[in-house]
Amino acid sequence: MNLKKSFSFAFAFLMIASLLLAACQPQQVEVVKTVVVTEVVEKEGKEVVVTQIVEVTPEPEVVEQPVTLDWNWGTEPPTIDPSLATDTTSVDVIHNLFVTLTQFDPVTGALSPYLATSWESGEDADGNQTWTFHMRDDIQWVKYDPTTGETSAVMDDEGNPRYVTAFDVEYGVKRTLDPATASDYAYVDYIIKNGQAVNEGAEGVTVDDIGVKALDATTVQFTLETPAAYFPSIAGMWVNAPMPQWAIEEWGDKWTEAGLINTNGPYVLEEWIHGGELNLVKNPLWINADDVQIERIHGVMITEASTAFALYENNELDSTGVPLPEMDRVKADPVLSAEYHSAPVPCTYYYGFTNNKPPFDDVRVRKAFVQSIDRQGLIDNVLKGGQIPATSFAPPGIFGAPAPGTVGLQYDPDAAKASLQEYLDEKGMSLDDFNAMGITLMHNTSEGHAQIAAAIQQMWKDVLGVDVKVENQEWKVYLTTIKKTTPLDEMPHIWRLGWCADYPDENNWVHEVFNNQAGANRLRRGCVDDTCTEATPLKFDELTIQAQQESDPDKRAELYYEAEKQLAEVEAAYAPIYHYTSTNVTKPWLTRNFPPLGGVDFFNWKLDMDAKLAAQGK
Amino acid sequence: MTRYIIRRILGFIPVLFAIALFTFVLMRAIPGGPFDFAGDKSLPPQVVANIEAKYHLDWPLWKQFLSYLIGDDLLGEEGTSRGVIRGDLGPSLRYRSQSVNDIIATTFPTSAQLGFMSLMLAILIGIPAGTIAALNQNTWLDYVSTFGAVIFLSIPNLVLAPILIWIFSLKLGWLPVAGWGAKPPYLLGFLPQPSQWNWNYFSHAIMPVFSLGTASAAGIARLTRASLLQVIREDYIRTARAKGLAERTVIVVHALKNSLIPVVTILGPAFAGLVTGTFIVEQIFGINGMGKHFVQSVGNRDYQVITGVTLVYGVILVIANLLVDITYAWLDPRIRYD
Repeated sequence: MNLKKSFSFAFAFLMIASLLLAACQPQQVEVVKTVVVTEVVEKEGKEVVVTQIVEVTPEPEVVEQPVTLDWNWGTEPPTIDPSLATDTTSVDVIHNLFVTLTQFDPVTGALSPYLATSWESGEDADGNQTWTFHMRDDIQWVKYDPTTGETSAVMDDEGNPRYVTAFDVEYGVKRTLDPATASDYAYVDYIIKNGQAVNEGAEGVTVDDIGVKALDATTVQFTLETPAAYFPSIAGMWVNAPMPQWAIEEWGDKWTEAGLINTNGPYVLEEWIHGGELNLVKNPLWINADDVQIERIHGVMITEASTAFALYENNELDSTGVPLPEMDRVKADPVLSAEYHSAPVPCTYYYGFTNNKPPFDDVRVRKAFVQSIDRQGLIDNVLKGGQIPATSFAPPGIFGAPAPGTVGLQYDPDAAKASLQEYLDEKGMSLDDFNAMGITLMHNTSEGHAQIAAAIQQMWKDVLGVDVKVENQEWKVYLTTIKKTTPLDEMPHIWRLGWCADYPDENNWVHEVFNNQAGANRLRRGCVDDTCTEATPLKFDELTIQAQQESDPDKRAELYYEAEKQLAEVEAAYAPIYHYTSTNVTKPWLTRNFPPLGGVDFFNWKLDMDAKLAAQGK
Repeated sequence: MTRYIIRRILGFIPVLFAIALFTFVLMRAIPGGPFDFAGDKSLPPQVVANIEAKYHLDWPLWKQFLSYLIGDDLLGEEGTSRGVIRGDLGPSLRYRSQSVNDIIATTFPTSAQLGFMSLMLAILIGIPAGTIAALNQNTWLDYVSTFGAVIFLSIPNLVLAPILIWIFSLKLGWLPVAGWGAKPPYLLGFLPQPSQWNWNYFSHAIMPVFSLGTASAAGIARLTRASLLQVIREDYIRTARAKGLAERTVIVVHALKNSLIPVVTILGPAFAGLVTGTFIVEQIFGINGMGKHFVQSVGNRDYQVITGVTLVYGVILVIANLLVDITYAWLDPRIRYD
């Protein structure tokens, strides 16, 4: 390459660069319209038609902005297929797209009518419990056409609009339980007659044997395996939503894509750029369309909490979560602190004990460890989000949950010390002997869990003088480690987990998590191998089974109170730590709710678009 | 040369096969599967069995690998896999309505645009800075350039990116906080549509490109400086000077060209690394790129996704290295491949 050539290269590069730079500049085009104006004027007493050409600078066109909410989903929803969803993001999207038989009141959290207007239980000829739901008949199936931007009614083969019927519900339930659908959450429907058998692919039963039947277009009846007073909550779960058989059969796995999906809720899916954006627009054919004020949801998927918070500060998000490092600043700042809200979320953070691993096979040791955790101190100094100290498992708002602090072991350093000392004396051990046992606390790798573990490790050291080793593992490896089948010497003494409500009933909590037959029995209470069904059941496990089958709500609540007390206080089998909160900031122009059971329902929110545009300087 | 290139391209096949095999085996060797748990909840074994049956995870491993490689029909089995050899990278186990091909088609173009611009920035800053430093060795120009390079090499973009956002978006309001200015569908599958070539696009790109490009620029500058210092002491440079060539000709034509060989060597892997996406910068700027799939798919045990993105990385790396080798022949006439 000679010099001249290299210079011409450089020149060419400069040319291209300057072109690119020019292209970068915002285009400012002077818009001047020439208009031919013809008018009749009076001139010297005569009427004369004058035609002249004038240049007019037009008034800036006022484009009516739809009322738009800028929202952060936080992550790509893995699916928006009601049969397959398991995570909160997916369920949040589904909740705005599909109706369900029942719903939870966004203010009180009480079970209330939605697609079903009323329901009652009965008994079939074989003495099985049935639940019959009477549905409204005016909810339409709709689809959104991305090319025209129109939402239209879905027509049936005869050209009539399709309304949501009991047959759609029956199809949805059967689809969830069909093993070919491969639904993660199929097991919540195992309570339905033959649900488990069909899902397990048992011989001699088909999908048609499942205990769900549309009696007519607006009545659907469920038959259960065992009586369940909480079944109307299960019937309202997303996995039992009415689903569009025709669209699913036509499009297969792709039926949830924008432009293909048929929905029946307050919003329709406008656009879904996987991993980038998921946008919703209001369904104009929705039964309560007049009450739905926010017309469009522009939903991005920003994973990094501090970036989302920066977008919020820049008026590019209308509501977002507060990252922990920003918490002190938010609380100190006069503007941000007014926009801050901490709302309870139905989840509980706890440390489980391996109940058959010495020294945690002794209740006095477990009690000592629980009573030396200063939960309020942890919340004030580490978590900072107004969490509720937990002394029992199910959080407020769950049917049967005891009020926080009424059941279980409070922070009591003296009792903790005495309890441990009693154990040491009986065993003839010194504290050094005890520490030589190498007590291990394990959590899955995460900065937040590590901070909590460090704080509690210090509390145990300060109160009891015990040394606890903290270890962590990657999430999936961790979940494999803390299975009940792991050999005892590889199992940590103490491990952390959390639990969130699928439906607001204690059955979903104490029974499904801790009953040593129904749950995973990571606590290793009672008999641990699968063969020992004949052993006498423990009191707690009996209580949760009794409560499940009891139909009188007052008696059920009493049984759950006893069960909670038995596990957290008498056995001290685990250490409840806190009930979660979500910490949010919300712009003053957005009026949003925080349903007691979590979730987002944009159709109940209100947004002052003029105030928002003014703040954005538009 | 043509024969050499063909031979190299044929050599890609065993390399990519080995990548696919290693990734496949390693992913299945780590504990925990994609469907054992939904969140904190462990699923009943039968539910897990249903899902595993749907994705053929119940097959023996050799059969799963063959199905992934050549497709179900050639294996004589019912199934939807058409095999990697026919361009089907399989379904995602985590994002259940998407295939790995969908995921790559959505996210790779964004990463490629960001990575390519970053590499251009790195070259445009790095080579001149390194040259100036070398030609003015031990003067203030050299110290400033070296100091700048050390600073930018040592500030991780994890730190640089939030600082940039704080200054240029929140305080000055000049640039958008996050996001990317182009959306699918892309022109030719990877370029922004002409209508998106505007200020909006570049304003979104400036901070991520800068965060990503400066560290590479610093590396290139250091390498160029060291290499050029060595070359200008060579005999042939003295010869060139003795012939009475202008100093500029000596430097640009003889010294710089030869000193670029080590720089070009690192450009191959740097190119592959940058255009396939970088987790941290994409995450901080909320860019829907491919970087996150290298990290999250491991945590999700999303077998097909991790193998798929690794294969894409592998293909780009071997192609980039081939281009590097071809460039050697042009930079150094002594290198011949025939």
